[in-house]
This record gives sequence, structure tokens and C-alpha cells, in this order.
Amino acid sequence: MRELTYVEAVREALHQTMAADERVFLIGEDVGVYGGAFGASAGLLQAFGEGRVIDTPISEAGIAGACIGAALTGLRPVGEIQFMDFITISMEQLVLQAAKIRYMFGGKATVPMVLRTPGGSGTGAAAQHSEMLENWFVHVPGLKVVMPSTPYDVKGLLVSAIYDDNPVIFIEHKLLYRTKGPVPEEPYRIPLGQAEVKRAGKDLTLVATSIMVPRALEAATTLAAEGIEIEVIDPRTLTPLDDAPIIESVKKTGRALVVHEAVKTGGFGGEIVSRIVESEAFDYLEAPVRRLAGLDIPIPYNRTLEAHTVPQVNNIVEEARKLVRGAY
Amino acid sequence: MKRDSLTFHASRFTEWLTAVAKEVIMPKFGFTQENAQIVRWLKNAGEAVEQGDPIAEVTTDKVNMEVEAPATGILDGLRFAEGDTVPVTAIIAFIRGKDEKLETPASGQPTAEEKPRAESPVAGRPSSATPVAHKMAQEMGVDVSQITGTGPGGRVTKRDVEAHVTTELGKPRAVPAARRLAQELNVDLNTVTGSGPRGRVQSADVREAAKPQTANEGRPMSPSIVRGQPSTIPFTGMRRTIATRLQKSFQESPHIFFDAYIDVSAAEALRAALNERLGKEQARISLTAIIAKACGWALARHPLVNSRIEGENIVLLSEVNVGIAVALEAGLIVPVVQNVPHKGLAQIASEIADLAERARNNRLRPQDVADGTFSISNLGMFGVDKFTAIINPPQVAILAVSRARKQFVPDANDQPVARPIMTVTLSADHRVVDGAVAARFLQDVRAALEQPALMML
Amino acid sequence: MTKNKNLSPATLASSGWSEATAREKLAAMQLIRAFEEKAEELFSLGRVHGTMHLSIGQEASAVGAASALQPGDYLLNTHRGHGHCLAWFESDVNAMMAEFMGKETGYCRGRGGSMHIANVEANNLGANGIVAGGLPISVGVGLSIKQRQTQQVCLAVFGDGGANTGAFHESLNMASIWKLPIIYLCENNQYAMSMPMQKAFNIERISERGAAYGMVGVTVDGNNLLDVYAAVKEAAERARAGKGPTLVESLTYRWRGHSKSDKQAYRTRDEVKEWQQRDPINRFAAVLGLSEAELNTVRETAQKQIEAAVAFAEASPEPAVENIAEGVYA
Repeated sequence: MRELTYVEAVREALHQTMAADERVFLIGEDVGVYGGAFGASAGLLQAFGEGRVIDTPISEAGIAGACIGAALTGLRPVGEIQFMDFITISMEQLVLQAAKIRYMFGGKATVPMVLRTPGGSGTGAAAQHSEMLENWFVHVPGLKVVMPSTPYDVKGLLVSAIYDDNPVIFIEHKLLYRTKGPVPEEPYRIPLGQAEVKRAGKDLTLVATSIMVPRALEAATTLAAEGIEIEVIDPRTLTPLDDAPIIESVKKTGRALVVHEAVKTGGFGGEIVSRIVESEAFDYLEAPVRRLAGLDIPIPYNRTLEAHTVPQVNNIVEEARKLVRGAY
Repeated sequence: MKRDSLTFHASRFTEWLTAVAKEVIMPKFGFTQENAQIVRWLKNAGEAVEQGDPIAEVTTDKVNMEVEAPATGILDGLRFAEGDTVPVTAIIAFIRGKDEKLETPASGQPTAEEKPRAESPVAGRPSSATPVAHKMAQEMGVDVSQITGTGPGGRVTKRDVEAHVTTELGKPRAVPAARRLAQELNVDLNTVTGSGPRGRVQSADVREAAKPQTANEGRPMSPSIVRGQPSTIPFTGMRRTIATRLQKSFQESPHIFFDAYIDVSAAEALRAALNERLGKEQARISLTAIIAKACGWALARHPLVNSRIEGENIVLLSEVNVGIAVALEAGLIVPVVQNVPHKGLAQIASEIADLAERARNNRLRPQDVADGTFSISNLGMFGVDKFTAIINPPQVAILAVSRARKQFVPDANDQPVARPIMTVTLSADHRVVDGAVAARFLQDVRAALEQPALMML
Repeated sequence: MTKNKNLSPATLASSGWSEATAREKLAAMQLIRAFEEKAEELFSLGRVHGTMHLSIGQEASAVGAASALQPGDYLLNTHRGHGHCLAWFESDVNAMMAEFMGKETGYCRGRGGSMHIANVEANNLGANGIVAGGLPISVGVGLSIKQRQTQQVCLAVFGDGGANTGAFHESLNMASIWKLPIIYLCENNQYAMSMPMQKAFNIERISERGAAYGMVGVTVDGNNLLDVYAAVKEAAERARAGKGPTLVESLTYRWRGHSKSDKQAYRTRDEVKEWQQRDPINRFAAVLGLSEAELNTVRETAQKQIEAAVAFAEASPEPAVENIAEGVYA
């Protein structure tokens, strides 16, 4: 199968859905002429014209609202918030309008929109351009939250998100954009709300999201040489969360570690840990369930500090090893 | 005290040449010497010493010797406490440079016995714990230096180890998987030694502990012998604990044995009379209960038999807590009736019955087997005429009770009369209990059994 | 760039309404008045839960605007939106009252309440609990209309308070640069909650802000049904012709406080009384030359409808708790 980069896979998903369905359009800052700050929509303006690829002024609330209004009235908009940090300006529209309109109107409206946004640190962009805020949206009923980790996943999930009748917050990762992987040429869908076991193993269940998935897989290779076999599970969709495979896995391994980039306190890891501990997997635990996540600090500018702020491969190796060897 | 000082030359200190802290090892003073006990440290950790300075006083075979510093420097990293028995050539301390920091922290006893399976301890702090605490900690796989001591001088006592290992609720520290397994396999978590951090019981430990039982499951009373296939019972869990402790006891405590043939007719009569008066729901008073009561009475009058050795001292214990050995499938356990002299026979009998029942159903709690000061092992019901028992450490005596059988004895007129005569054998630790003491104690036990009214004194 | 215009006072003739139609408009205003008064009464009797934002005194703004539009047009409403809801196409006063009382038969199955009443089928895209919350949404509606190339327009209502939000700015700017078919109706009732317009703005008329976006801005007497009608009609024509959005400022007054818990310490009784003299219903009744008796008939008719609606609502079932999570996700 041919390989695409993650960002190429995003672009292909957009292209193919826009070609197939005139209800789909893009709207965001610099998505048209510029081709998207990270190149996700390069060539799409040329292919589909200004009516379908709309460059906006700097108006995040407007972008979110535009998606809502268009979705309410028969279209399937894909909005882009250039950096996840700026989604904070759209919060009212996303949390109080998009998420709630259907419910407030007694189930009689649908808001089939997607808001794509790249998050994450590692590019030296510092505190206001490096956020990972996925758990804020997990915390809002009415929204779906998707965080793909591979080119294959991002294309399939984006197509599904566009055709989902709910507002979807679709979180990409800047450092994943250049990663490569096999991607089928035709359009295909990966269902939302379906986790994937990326690697099987018997010694530890490692739940990872976004950029932490490839890091976890790398750690797993290192640990395999020591005779430790890690099972890596990628939820892919955070809301709705497919926790069944996670629970089954923990029953098998007896040990669990959650790894994510976002700040540990109040992060999604807490949700996973709770699900495990509240489930029948509890009876099979050999050790406390642990989390590896971002430090509770804004992302620092300095490269070393920045790298130190979020889990890296060696941190994952160490923590997994400690858990398996009974240090906790 | 007379001391022979031997200048001691260490033989294997290649590290000296690389300026690492010098090891101080327990020297061998005699040809056949295996161990020595540290009587006291003459220098403290952090003190400057010169080569040749005596730094510890040790005792071997009743003779006291001094260990000298093999180098000049700062004494540090004391690995053993006063009262500890150390095998010869084991490292007992280090001499380091003034500004040097010891890399290897103090740890528990590295002996031929199982090493502590807990994580390596916090650097620097020498473990100051009673020998009993050390042993218990070792058995439980807990690092003594992790425990806060409440004994004199901040020493870790046995109680501290127990407290460390169990929660306030008296529940064992075990992971969920272990608890589930323990329930499934009918294993008492309290009897499982944990291999996890802080002595935590992991499911592997439960599986280990369950093995002997599952090996015995379904074995008929008279097993058919399968030719050519020996069956194995691994040395794990309770079996291993018993093996280790009793071997130690027999090796360390010099046992002396005393027999007495006791006429138990009065005791039997008392038993019958009292049982008549009991309510239907009350446990019947057994002969064992009466024996326990008699021993309790006698122990109160002979404190040396109700004592224990702690370091340099013989501690005469204030309470008389009598343990009654109970035979289990997997081995043997000795639950304790606390405070026997203050309890009536009905209560003692009831407690013994309860403890025995719970012991057989794996439902004993740590407090049920704690603080015994004397033990009784009654094998009379198995038809044993006489046997000797091994003292249950840290106690100093144990009474083996064999069966009572009708024998002809001369009465007041030298005429033969048939009387139920029961053999008991007292084992006593000669370090504490000399012959005369043991004999007098046993005399009182006999008196109490043959004339129970004496116990009212 | 067109400048701010003040339309000349409209007349009944220029509205093009027949007598019957005009009376319908009066009745529509009275229905709103009756609904609001009943809502107030129900609340004081403890039969309604939460709070409400009454639009008594603003009926002409609601009826005038709706009258100028067509079925298929979209409405994005405010929290003070009972009037617009009732004035909108296919409105059902029973369903409104039931929603108001939190019943299963309400427009939103009892889950929205006063501030979120919507009738999506009739393109009433809902009242909004967030000031100016509907404005960004209007941009999307406008884009959608353009995309689908229909003749629909979107009426986006907000108040003087909403004109100072960031969302107002982002929305009007985007609507203008893309020439979206939107009518931004600002019901300036002189007060946000307690903040009077004079303190919140350094300009005389909110419609002046149209110029900032290159958009036509118009101020009208919001208590004059015909004026409102004329202004919104012109704005709708402009929108349908693809010439972009209009900012219509409708000067009006709410007779009651912001919400039920408003002590109205920020204005005088005299001021309220003064505005009540300009009662939009009375004024239009005068234009129609109605007698007191005829006006009373109109009042009674409206009252009867409202009573029936209350009866309907009270007889309706509560939403079932088992269904509490229905409608979160599609």
C-alpha cells in the first residue's frame, strides 16, 4: 500500500469528501490561499473554489458560529482553528451552542459539523501555541472528541467525523503531521467510538493518545528486548470512549499505565484510570493504575525544558518497566 | 570482662586500592565458629576511628571478643544492631573517608536465608531493630529501614513491623488480584507472605500459598502409592515459615526436657462438674482448657518461664498469654488465649474452641497469633504416649501434652488403684530457664492439675 | 459604502396591507402581550420554574420584523424572545406555553425552556441564553443560504447589550465581507440588564456601527409597527438581491425588568410610565381607527387563546426521567 504523511491523509480525506458531497466545505484562517498553516488544505481552494474553501478574518468565535449555522441549515462544514490554543476564543459557541442546541431543542435539531485543530508541543512555539485541551471537550456532553494518531486513522476518522451528525472536535497533532504510514487510496471510514489495540502484549496495558501512541510503540520495542511485552491501546475517539478493550486488556495484564501529553491534573488519564478501577478489571489489578502525562506547567520555550514537560519515549520505558517489575 | 583482642586482617579488600569505603567484616575467632553475636558497638556511626581501634564487642561460644577497625577513617553504615547474630565474614560496617558518602545503604541481614524481597531501602540509615523485628520483617519481605520504630531509642519492634504491614483495620496489604484469588482458592491472606512492595501480597504469592493445599486436596487418608512417582510438597508459605522458625529455635535455644506423669482424675472430675453447669450454647470445657489454666497459674508464680530474651536482657513479661497449637492441613499454627490467669475456665474454653475453629477455616487474624508467652501442644488425642516439642520462639518454654491412660498406681495404703495418668513434657530454654526453675514450674503445673482448688490461691 | 439612513415614517398605505391583514397584525401583537402577562402571572403564582425575560412593550418590533419576511426565512432569537417566537411562521402558542411550563409537549420537550425555545421545522433556530450567541451562528446560516443558492434570509435578533460583544464584531464583519443575506435586528430597549445605553456606548445610535463594517445601518421607532415593517422589508430585499446584510436598530422599551429578579434600581417609574404612553399596540390600534370595544374584543380573543394554551400545557405530561439522555447525540 502506498504511504502518506498524516497531513496528506487529512488533505485527502477533505478532498475526497468535498468532491463527493457539495454540502462539505472548509472554513478557517488561511485555509484557502495559504493552504492551511500546516498545509492541510493545500490545493483545495484551487480544486473547489472560494465558495467551498473560505478564508476568514481572525474570528474564532465567528468560525465556530459559522460552522454551527451552516450545519443547522443543511450543510456539513469543516472548520479549522489554526492552533488548539485559539479554540479558547470559540468556547462559548462550541460549549453553549454547538454542544447543546440539539438537546435544548428537544432533539429536534442536528449540528453536523467538524472543527479540526492541531494541538501539542514540541515545536518551540511556547505556552500559547502548544496546548492540548481535549479534556475540556470530553467534559461537554453533546460534543464528540477524536484524536487520531496515524495517517491511516486520521483519514478514516475524518471522513467519519464529517458524516457524523454531531459536532466533532477533531484534534490533530503538529508533530504527527510529518509521520508516514500506509493509507488506502479510496475513501474509507473508521467508526467513531472504536478503540484499537495497536500492539498486543501480556505484561502491561498501556493506553495512549495522539503523539503518545508512536512513543509508546517505540517504548514497547525497547521493553520487548527486556522480556516485557506491552499492550498498547489507542482509544482514537475520546468521546464516546470505547473502554471495553481497555478493561479486557487490564483483566489480562493486571497492570495499567495511561500516557497522554496534556497536563496530568484534570487530564483525560484520570477518566481512563477511573473507568478501569470502576470496572471488573479492578479485581485483577496487581499494582496501582498509573498515569504519565504533562507536567502541571505552561509549556516552556526552551527546547530542553519543553521536551522535559511531556512524556518522552524514555519516560514511558522507565515507567512501564517500574510498573511491571513491581516498583509500585 | 576479660577480652582477647585479635588484630584482624581482612583478606578480600581489593576495593581499598580504589578508595572506596572499606568494609568491616565479622571476623572468625575460632576454627569451627559459624556466627558471632554483636554484644555492643563501641563506636557510633559517624565517629572517627584509627586503624586498630576496637569498634565492636562480639560474643562467640560464651567468650567475648573485640572487632578492630581495619583502617583509619569514619565508621559508618552499621549494618547490624546490638544483639544481632551475624555469620562470620559478613560485612557489618564500613570505614569511609571524611567527605565520602556511602553508596550502598544499610540493609537487612544478608544470610543464607531468603533475602528481603522489598525494594532497596533509603540510603544511609542503619537499621536499628530488635532481632525479632528483623526476623519478622525478613519473613514478610519488608525492609526494616522503612519502618518507624517505637521501641527504645527509636528501635523498630515487632509490633512496628506488624503495624507497618497491616492496616489499622487489621487487614493484610494485598492487591485486588490477590484478594480475588485468595477468595477463590480459599487462602487466608493473613498467612500469605507478600513479595510486593511494602510486603504487599501479589496474586503470585497467593498461588504459592495455595499450592500445598491444592497438592493435598483430595488425598485420601490411606493414599494408594503410585509406583515410581514421588509426590512433592514445595517449601512455601506456611510450611516454609514453620521450617525456618523451628529450625532456628531448635538451633539457637538450648532445649532441656522434663517429664511429669500427672494424675488427671481430679481435673477430669472438675471438667465434668463444670460442664454440667454450663448453658447449652456455651463451649464445653476441655482438658486442654484446664491444662492451659493450670499452666497460666503456674507461669504467674514462675516468671522466668514466662519470659523472652531481648538483646542483652531477659524480659519477664507482665502478661501470661498461652498459645494452644492447632494442627492444620498445611501445617501448624498457635493461636493465643490472652491473659489466662484473669479468665475463667468457661471463657478460656470458649476462646480455645473459637480459635481452633477459625484456625481450621483460615480465618485467624494477626492479633490471634500475637504475643504468646508460653505454648501448649496437645497430641494426646492421637494416642501419643510421650513426645517433646520445640519451643515456639521468642518464648522460652513449651508443654507437650500426651495422652492420659489408665495405670495402676499405689494409693495411700500402697494398694494398686487405676488412675488416668497423663504424660507431659516441658521443653525449656536453658539460656533462661535452669533445671531447678523448670522443675519447680512443672511441679506447680502438676499440683494445679491434681488439686485444682490450689488455683484459687 | 452606504451611510446610515433614517427612514421616513411609514404609513399603513405604504405597507400594502389589507384591513384584515392589519388587524391580524394587531391581534398578533396582542397575543404576545397576553402571553407575556400570563407568563408573569404564572410565575408569581409559583406555577412556572426558573426565570423569564419579558418583552412587554416590544411587540411591534417582533411582529413588524416577522411580517416583513417569508416562510423559509431563518430566525435567530434572543433570550427575550417569546414575542419573536410567537410572531414567527407556524408558531403554536400551545407548544410555546407547554415548553414554558417544561412539558413534554413543548417545542423542546421541556428541555429548553423560555430561553431556548425553537421550532427548527419552521426555521426558527432558537432563542439563545447567551447575549449575541446567535450572531456567529447567523454567519453560518448566511453562508449556507449562499451555498445552496436560495432566496432565504436570516433575521438575527440581539439587544443593545449584544452590540458590545466580540461576537457582534466578528459576525457583522464576516457577514459584510461575504455579503451574507442577514438582517441584524438590534432591539435597543435602552438597557442591557441595568446598564443604560448612554453609559455603554460612546455613540448616539447603534446603527452607526454599520458603517464600521461597510454595512447599511438604519434606526427606527421600534414601537411603530409600520416603521419596523418597512425597515426590515427593505433589508430583506437587499439581502435577497445579494447585496448583503443590514443593521436595523429598533428603538423600543421593555416595561418590565430584565428578568424576574430585577429590582429595576437603574431606572425611574416615571421613565417607565413615559414609555408606556407609547404602547405599540395602542398606537397601531389608533392607526387602524379601532374603538375601545373593538380593541377589547381583540384583547379577549387573545386572552382566550392564552387560557387555552395554559390548559393544554397544564394537562400535558412531564418529560419522563428515563428519557433524560435522549437528544444529546444524533
